[in-house]
Amino acid sequence: MIGYLFLTGVGVWGVNNPVGWGWAIVNFVFWVGIGHAGTLISAILFLFRQKWRTSINRFAEAMTIFAVVCALIFPGIHVGRVWVAYWMAPYPNQMQMWPNFRSPLLWDVFAVGTYGVVSAMFWFMGMVPDLSTLRDRATTRIRQIAYGILALGWRSSNRHWLRYERAYLLLAALAAPLVLSVHSVVSFDFAVSQVPGWHTTIFAPYFVAGAIFSGFAMVMTLIIPARQFFGLEEIITLRHLENMSKIILVTGMMVGYSYMIEFFIAWYGGNPYEAFAFVSRALGPYAWAYWIMISCNVLAPQLFWVKKCRTNVWILMIVCVLVNIGMWFERFVITVTSLSSDFLPSSWGYYSPTWVDALTLLGSFGLFSTLFLLFIRYLPIVAMAEVKSVMPQAQLDRGIHRGLGDYWGDMPHIHDEQPGEPSREQAVSPAHRTSERPADTKAESYSYLVDFETAGDLIAGAERVRDAGYTQWDAHAPFPVHGLNDAMGLSATRLPWLVFFAGLTGAGVGLGLQYFTNAVDYPLVISGKPFFSLPANIPITFELTILFAATAAFVGMLAFNRLPQHYHALFKSRRFRKATTNRFFISVEARDPCFDRVRTKALLESLGGSSVEEIGE
Amino acid sequence: MLRRPVDISMDNRRLGNPASKWAWTAGVVGVAGLGAGVLIGVLTDEGINRFLSAYLVNYMYFLSLGLGALFFVILQHLTRSGWSVVIRRLAETVARNMLLLALLCLPVLLGLGRLYSWADPETASTNHLLHWKRPYLNSTFFILRVIAYFAVWVWLARYFFNNSVLQDRTGDVGLTVRMQKVSAPAMVAYAITITFAGFDLLMSLDPYWYSTIFGVYFFSGGLVGFLGLLALMAFAVQRSGRLTHAITSEHFHDMGKLIFAFVVFWGYIAFSQYMLIWYADIPEETSWYLVRQSGDWAWVSLALLAGHFFVPFLVLISRYPKRRKNLLVLAAVWVLVMHWLDVYWLVMPAASSQRVPLHLLDFTCFVGIGGLYFAATVYRLRDCSLIPERDPRLSESLAFENV
Repeated sequence: MIGYLFLTGVGVWGVNNPVGWGWAIVNFVFWVGIGHAGTLISAILFLFRQKWRTSINRFAEAMTIFAVVCALIFPGIHVGRVWVAYWMAPYPNQMQMWPNFRSPLLWDVFAVGTYGVVSAMFWFMGMVPDLSTLRDRATTRIRQIAYGILALGWRSSNRHWLRYERAYLLLAALAAPLVLSVHSVVSFDFAVSQVPGWHTTIFAPYFVAGAIFSGFAMVMTLIIPARQFFGLEEIITLRHLENMSKIILVTGMMVGYSYMIEFFIAWYGGNPYEAFAFVSRALGPYAWAYWIMISCNVLAPQLFWVKKCRTNVWILMIVCVLVNIGMWFERFVITVTSLSSDFLPSSWGYYSPTWVDALTLLGSFGLFSTLFLLFIRYLPIVAMAEVKSVMPQAQLDRGIHRGLGDYWGDMPHIHDEQPGEPSREQAVSPAHRTSERPADTKAESYSYLVDFETAGDLIAGAERVRDAGYTQWDAHAPFPVHGLNDAMGLSATRLPWLVFFAGLTGAGVGLGLQYFTNAVDYPLVISGKPFFSLPANIPITFELTILFAATAAFVGMLAFNRLPQHYHALFKSRRFRKATTNRFFISVEARDPCFDRVRTKALLESLGGSSVEEIGE
Repeated sequence: MLRRPVDISMDNRRLGNPASKWAWTAGVVGVAGLGAGVLIGVLTDEGINRFLSAYLVNYMYFLSLGLGALFFVILQHLTRSGWSVVIRRLAETVARNMLLLALLCLPVLLGLGRLYSWADPETASTNHLLHWKRPYLNSTFFILRVIAYFAVWVWLARYFFNNSVLQDRTGDVGLTVRMQKVSAPAMVAYAITITFAGFDLLMSLDPYWYSTIFGVYFFSGGLVGFLGLLALMAFAVQRSGRLTHAITSEHFHDMGKLIFAFVVFWGYIAFSQYMLIWYADIPEETSWYLVRQSGDWAWVSLALLAGHFFVPFLVLISRYPKRRKNLLVLAAVWVLVMHWLDVYWLVMPAASSQRVPLHLLDFTCFVGIGGLYFAATVYRLRDCSLIPERDPRLSESLAFENV
């Protein structure tokens, strides 16, 4: 369909003269809105310490990214001449022009682009520990290698977990305002204009609430069948669904609030055009769309006041599908009604989509579900490491000291394998670290490894190793164990500073770029705005700040942790594979100054774990 | 996230006898402040109009703090928060001042014709736009609306305060369940009332201007101010040797995070409003900002941008100052001052469009309303504990630890 569009031009669309924005923008806003729930669940619920989010965040993040991919198609094809879409990038084209940074459409490019990149980083980073679990439990060689590459050599090291958790928190803190900004910027596409029905100051938070609303509804629409189908009822429980339905109710109320306030102010403002735009929405030619929107977005979620409806899977599903429909119509109503009847009655027109429009929308759903099914097939759909850390077994303070193995079950194939079988790490092992190796005899082995059943034993053991004065040692756990950093005597990471300065750099670059291009290099008068108009430059400055800071958090975390590091001596141990599943390890490296073959071994053996394993270089 | 609950058996959890003394002192100071205000108003050239403007600034300031407190209390029940239980009683008490604020609204209602140009019958009958708005902007309906808002707020504030205090005695977990049930519709009622209160009391000062986001703006500023007040109260209570164990640096850390978050939220709302009006450049909307961007008011606007957003943003972005009580309380006082300036900036240009008319009256009214406000707060705390003693989530709050 898109191919046909490219060949023929946008004439095949139903857009006409007053309604210059049709389905493309409706679909774009719809998909971007869908894309909001993922990062909201990941970031904002994380900052609010809502632990129930762990069961659903991976799912929602994946949905976010695929929705953003779908969304980006529409402005892409909407520019008409797709082959010059790169003109949107800040790069002087052959006419020596720069993009107009005072245009909200360009803010969109930056906002959605940043959002896509940051969401992808957030998603991938959350997945690294789980990918390592898949790597270590892989049943075929191809999977082992594929997941191994993606897992970046993650070895559940607690030193890594420390920076990982900090980076995750920072990314969450950066993603939260980013989420708000993206749909605010999308709303500015409409609201900075003077079109009645578009220009109203509440648009930014109103769009954000609507985006969260539709995003959660879409998460529910996808997650309810998935949990039935894969039997995840114990991980994604009714309580999760109930909580999500409450959020849908809250955001639905916010959307309803905005509808109400808009109407009130349209009258109160005393501007006849504004008042007409709203009356015409409710009673005019598009009244059918308006009432679909109201009944799906405002009335349907009211069912969620009742607990019975919040816990009935069928009602949840139906209401959420209705919300999806309603939110699509909301964008339709906003876009089309305002344009179809503008200031001059002589130029009014009625917009109807063509078959190309309809099939393109259908195609975007197809793309979305294809990507989504691929995700479900190949990647961990539940954030395993995070779910582990909030399971009762991980709550040390409640006095339950039980191995996670009881819950997760052991994977038989790990035991079945022969110890002598060469592993992939040995096959590819380069002469690693030989240069650093001290020449004395105590370094014949790389390290000693001991494992424990429970996180509590690990902490007790780590405290003793710390007190014995070791420095080149590490603890490994399938999830970040609370209190382990103290037990290991680790100090805080400098990552926040890096992120802060990267953010400042981003702000400087953003502002400088816009100043140079629009005020110095190619001054161009646009809608009577000054060449350098600070308010109009804030959105892009903000997006670049977040982009730089978030990239610094992600790359900085990897760099400080010296990842990716696909070879590590510890990977030679068969037993160590369970470090990503359900076992807790302490490893002491031979290059530690305190290392002594006999005494170190005795110390580790006295910790109460399993027998001590010696791992060669 | 959970450690062992802090032992508070040794904590002094009551204000006790000094409370009466403080309440009386503050009450006398308050009455004296207001009395002096009226006196200055009657005797000086600027007269009673100036007094009313100053009164409205400070009245809206304390009202917004009280509304922030009410929101905080409802929100804690709605989200079933555990961490905040030890500081919730302080918020409940501040919210409980709603009845006092309802009484203090009288001068505003009496001075309606002087404060709001639409309430002046002569202007209203000759101006076309005001004539159009007459069904909404007329004195009778206005007063009825204000009564309705206060009916909702007073009822909510009393409900949450009284049930919480009742639970101190009975330990009935059912009360918590009931308050959680009420909190959801309470939030809806709160959202609608605060929005229209913002429209009525502040936005209609310039009856030609309108902005759909204004209610949210009013709400966000008040919440920032209240969170500052909450941190300040927690600090003051501890300085007086009470709750020294119960409130830990973890709680201050969270209050700091909330101040930070809502400073950003305020900035976001303020920017959304400004940006859209600036960009579209429609005369009937820009007039409001034009006044605030010209003359002396331009400096106030810039001071707000720097002081209400950038300074607290940069100070509180790091973990360190949020966990140090002494630093955090400085930031709290700072946002309280900035919030006052914000309200001043909302109200005053309607009365004086060129000059920033700082006047002794602004101060006496602050002392007057503030004194009464403080007196009522302390007086109410005299008879009850400073924390919800038998809240089912108290131990969670005492054991609370940030990751």
